[in-house]
Amino acid sequence: MSAAYPLGPNAILEVREIEKSFGGIRAVDRCSLVVAPRSVTGLIGPNGAGKSTLFNIISGLYRPDGGEIWFGGVRIDGLPPYGIVRLGLAKTWQIPHELKKLTVLENLVLAAKDHRGESLVNLFFNPSGIRKDERRLREQARSILALTQLSNLAHEEASSLSGGQKKLLELARVLMTEPALVLLDEPVAGVNPTLAASLMDLIEQLRQGGTTFFLIEHDMNVVMKRCDTVIVMHQGRKIAEGPPDAVRKDPVVIDSYLGG
Amino acid sequence: MRPLARRAATKKGGDPAAVDTGILVNVAFYASVSIIFAVLALGFNLQWGYTGLFNAGIAGFFLLGAYTAAIVTTPLDPPTIVGGVVIVPGHLGGFSLPFAFGAIMAMVVSGLAAVLIAIPTLRLRADYLAIATLAFSEIIRRITTNLDTVTGGTNGITKIPRLITFDPPNPFANAMVVLGAGAALVLAAFLVLSFIEESPWGRVLRAVREDEVATMALGKNTLLFKIEAFGIGGALMGLAGALFTLTIPYLEPSNFAPALTFSIWVIVIVGGAGNNRGAILGAFLIYGMEWASVILKDYVPTAFKNTIFYTRLMIIGVLLIVLIIYRPQGLLPEKRRVLK
Repeated sequence: MSAAYPLGPNAILEVREIEKSFGGIRAVDRCSLVVAPRSVTGLIGPNGAGKSTLFNIISGLYRPDGGEIWFGGVRIDGLPPYGIVRLGLAKTWQIPHELKKLTVLENLVLAAKDHRGESLVNLFFNPSGIRKDERRLREQARSILALTQLSNLAHEEASSLSGGQKKLLELARVLMTEPALVLLDEPVAGVNPTLAASLMDLIEQLRQGGTTFFLIEHDMNVVMKRCDTVIVMHQGRKIAEGPPDAVRKDPVVIDSYLGG
Repeated sequence: MRPLARRAATKKGGDPAAVDTGILVNVAFYASVSIIFAVLALGFNLQWGYTGLFNAGIAGFFLLGAYTAAIVTTPLDPPTIVGGVVIVPGHLGGFSLPFAFGAIMAMVVSGLAAVLIAIPTLRLRADYLAIATLAFSEIIRRITTNLDTVTGGTNGITKIPRLITFDPPNPFANAMVVLGAGAALVLAAFLVLSFIEESPWGRVLRAVREDEVATMALGKNTLLFKIEAFGIGGALMGLAGALFTLTIPYLEPSNFAPALTFSIWVIVIVGGAGNNRGAILGAFLIYGMEWASVILKDYVPTAFKNTIFYTRLMIIGVLLIVLIIYRPQGLLPEKRRVLK
């Protein structure tokens, strides 16, 4: 059941026996796993293994058919997606979901938690509080844009960004929610190697600042070099887990995913 | 609204001075009706232009506002019974309250109706929302037609008091009062909307329009924002209904057919979705074409007289097609926001 590997009760995220079917297809089949705090944990597996479905279940976008999900001591399965984000668990999309007609900066400021200006009542009764929040969050957004090398695009409509820039925007936007755990669905797919490397450097830097990352990635170089722990999924289940080197040599993994 | 427009347009004065103010009364009437359309368009622009909620029941919320305002403001109108047979059913009312109460009640009733409709239907996809709201507006209209002890049925509600009663009757002064009240209310609506739409709250609405699931995954309770936008939009449509009772002091259910909803769509599409100035401009343009066709009817050759209304419909149709091909964002498109 709740596996003691690697840190047992020290897990920031624990998935217990999660199940999800679409029609007759079992996308996730009693999957259990644990993500350690302040780790970069990779999730790999062949296409159709259930990785993205599992991410959508964890972030509340899909309701599981069975099982439990615990995040930092709180049971989160059944909570709405916005409630889960507010607890500090946010995800990026495999295919970017940029808010097209909003500028890059607007995309970021929107993602902030607890902006008093998003309440109609405050609009009329607390205008100074709103101005303060807006100023503070724009500052915060600008510093995140600088981190993600998007500063010069701040006032462009998000729809005008390139594919790689949209991936950066995904990460930048999610950071605005001040997450403790970030689920990244293929963060460097379609991003050029130089930019991908600096993006992974940024993730390492943020991890040292205390953020945990759980990422799906098909680029084995990235996974092997950057992850502390790798979890392998196949046909909706976890089939292996461990440090990258051990996973790479695991005969079950070689057989089902990595190939000979 | 056509016969009423016609009635105002063909009103003739006796002496030369009266003819002069007659033209002004006509123009004021045109502007007053355009303002009603503008308020409806502002409400729909908040719902669809900003939030992406396609309301196909605008006429229903407009009707609720108009009838509420009429019932609140009119004096007692008991049924006329001749020999035990009800000739005129009368209607609910007799409150004789000032117009301000009527307008507020109209906004409350239409706004609440919008919230109540929103709760079950805003979980639906856009196309189902359109079907549900269209059905709502037709159901409301059928109820209004048949619940004659409340609404006067097909006899409608007459004797709606003027905002200011002139003695002797002065059409010019009355037209100016109506226009002044309308202009003040549309300006107030415009300013309040600009304030809330350009706020962080309005930013969430635009995000919902672009991608609701992504917005939810960024921590926003999108259903709540949709209900708020839909409710405020509905309240504005109610306000337009109250204005209608000022401009045309006679209500009947046939004024609130779905064609009215379609006119508001055209106004917002032509004016520019997501731009309130565009919604107002669109209202003056589209109703202007209707009004012009009524006015011109008296001046065109007899052969053309009977076809002028259809010509107008054709022109609007062609205009819409040309616009959607060459300028899909409308005459005044949505602005890009540069945050300092």
